[in-house]
Amino acid sequence: MGAIGRWVLSLDGAALPDRVLVGGKAWGIATMRHAGLPVPPAFVVTTEACRAYLAQGALPDGLLDELYAGIAILEAETGRRFGAAEKPLLLSIRSGAAVSMPGMLDTVLNLGIDEEIEAALAVESGDAAFARDTRRRFHEMYARIVLKAGIERLQPEGSVEEWRAAVAEAGATGCVPETPAEQLLGAVRAVFDSWNGRRARRYRRHHGLPDDAGTAVTVQAMVFGNLGERSGTGVLFTRNPLTGAAEPYGEYLARAQGEDVVSGRRTPQGLDALASPLPEAHAALIEAARRLEALNRDVQDVEFSVQEGTLYLLQTRTAARAPAAAVRIAVDLVNEGTISTDEALARVGADQVRMLLMPRLSEGAAESAPLLVEGEGASPGVGIGTVVLDADTAEARGGAGDDVVLVRPTTSPDDVHGMVAARAVVTETGGATSHAAVVSRSLGVPCVVGCGAGVGAALAGREVTVDGKAGRVFDGALPVSAPAETDDPHLCRIAGWARAAAPLAVYRADETAPGDALDLDRLPGGEDPEKLPELLQGVSGAGGGALASDAGVAVAVAAGLDFIVVRHALPALLAACAAARAEAAE
Amino acid sequence: MTDTYLVLHGLAIKKYADAAAVAAALGLAEDEVRAVLDDAVAKGRAARAGEAYSLTPVARVALDGAYSRLFAAQRADEAFAAAHERFEAINRELKQLMTAWQTIEIDGESILNDHTDKDYDDRLIDRLGALHERAEAILEQLAAGLQRLTIYAEKLEAALEKAEDGAIEWVSGAKIESYHTVWFELHEDLLRILGRTRQE
Repeated sequence: MGAIGRWVLSLDGAALPDRVLVGGKAWGIATMRHAGLPVPPAFVVTTEACRAYLAQGALPDGLLDELYAGIAILEAETGRRFGAAEKPLLLSIRSGAAVSMPGMLDTVLNLGIDEEIEAALAVESGDAAFARDTRRRFHEMYARIVLKAGIERLQPEGSVEEWRAAVAEAGATGCVPETPAEQLLGAVRAVFDSWNGRRARRYRRHHGLPDDAGTAVTVQAMVFGNLGERSGTGVLFTRNPLTGAAEPYGEYLARAQGEDVVSGRRTPQGLDALASPLPEAHAALIEAARRLEALNRDVQDVEFSVQEGTLYLLQTRTAARAPAAAVRIAVDLVNEGTISTDEALARVGADQVRMLLMPRLSEGAAESAPLLVEGEGASPGVGIGTVVLDADTAEARGGAGDDVVLVRPTTSPDDVHGMVAARAVVTETGGATSHAAVVSRSLGVPCVVGCGAGVGAALAGREVTVDGKAGRVFDGALPVSAPAETDDPHLCRIAGWARAAAPLAVYRADETAPGDALDLDRLPGGEDPEKLPELLQGVSGAGGGALASDAGVAVAVAAGLDFIVVRHALPALLAACAAARAEAAE
Repeated sequence: MTDTYLVLHGLAIKKYADAAAVAAALGLAEDEVRAVLDDAVAKGRAARAGEAYSLTPVARVALDGAYSRLFAAQRADEAFAAAHERFEAINRELKQLMTAWQTIEIDGESILNDHTDKDYDDRLIDRLGALHERAEAILEQLAAGLQRLTIYAEKLEAALEKAEDGAIEWVSGAKIESYHTVWFELHEDLLRILGRTRQE
């Protein structure tokens, strides 16, 4: 790390900067560069500059010169020029406080583009549409993030004048600046100003964080994944995020920018598509993936671009993973000596295990069953019941102990009480973002949406089986089976560690508990975690009721129970371990 | 005097609610609202179970017929209609955001968000906050045409702040006045005010 002046530091990775001075994002870049990983060149305007700006209401003296000194370093490293009509350098601008908080300015990409530079990019890439799209995305992000305009997307076919008009109409607080220099200053000021935004101020007050710490601004060179055949963009997971298999897994699109991979406009290929034309970039990527995982001690989701044969890592974060992968990865990382068993327990959520243990259609049951209707699977799980067509009936019959499936044209708040009482929900129209989908997922009720008009009338009164993941509704009650936690070797390992670490013993209902358990199912209020502290006083063991939830298990831990009796042991064990960790942290 | 239909409208939005909840939604005094609701029960327009009231089917039909009178001012108000258009646009974004909150795309497969990835959740709550700031301007325009709608901005902000402080069930919890619950009630209210129907 080198000081460029009083306010700006180069993130060259020579030494690690002070995290408080440069913020979390710049610190991450410096750490990666320090480890010799190929990250696009960047510099940071420090939190001290922000404090000076906020104190005097203007950019501090000398900051402008230092900004351009920083840009000169990026120009030297990339061989490109900011604001130039040949080989233009575009920038990304990010906020970054030492502690992340809501309301801080999000990233602005592709900054430093005007009419002339768009033309230059078109010539250089041989792709006028790309140059246009780069400019459009800059306009869009600047308008939305800096100017707070309520726009989703600017029309790709529109002229710049039309974009400006759309931005003005969407309640923007100003105009998108014309020149690269104005764009840069506008974005830097907006980052600083976001420190005093209402949401950020309220969050700091609530969490007792200092109001004068300020945010840094990270400025980084954009790299282009579409400058010819030796360029491209991709995503790599250091392990398979669906199965947890311990091998790098990813997608690559030659001659593409980041959004092409995400948007699904073009179909990405596997990483072999990088390995065959550019074996060196591929080898560098695999090596970088290995080191990033070791550095962060967890599976990483890495965005990268290749610009004219050179690999650049754009972003790395802890990878999201499916429940099965979470379990396998936690066990594998313990086996490899990377993490402790306590860390493994902290990385597997009780809810993830519950999802793995959810009942599903028995093997082969779906193949021979008569399929009645098909739609879009909106909330996973299997629900069996008699079809009713209105929420009041669903509530009345569900409350009386009947299993019902609620079928509606669409759902609205009128229907929520019926959805709560139903085993599954089916709608005639609507997609994955519809009310039925959002509410069913929130309630944990299986749901299939968009099955077509008239489905309700056709199904009324029938007994059906709804598969909320596959989006199918079958005739009759199909056999379901629940995976047992004792069948899976990975789950057994985790259960063993959890038993040793948990502050209380957990027994399944089919096991013999060491003593009499208080049966919460038979006590008034036993299903309410808020009533539990009272009910559990002076008790050594309990079962049922609110102990099915994490909150209930936490109360049992706090009450110092010796044991609890529940349907599935492992989720309760994990919840007990989490409660013990939370207690220890306080 | 409190308009009976307005109170019944409040009940249609809140469903199975006690007098206090209906009064809060409408910005009216609880005692007045309870008196109107009890009167509606006596006349067969509402049913009461414990503290919770609900509309009878006949009252729902009567209410649909009363809306054009009840909300004539808003239906004639161009600024109100324009604000509603903007609400519909941002509503599409909100729905996508709620779906992203509940499901994570992993390698093209949509998987329920189990909320073990705090960074992911933080990013989405931050996006919700940014959306809320833009929605506030629209809500102000709507409230200019119908003052009682200000209650939604307050409730949305309260839900957002709880979520920002770590109580993440306030994003989309179906059984509490979460951001999604309040937003959807607001949408329902607007559709009834303007005599439109929901797409999905």
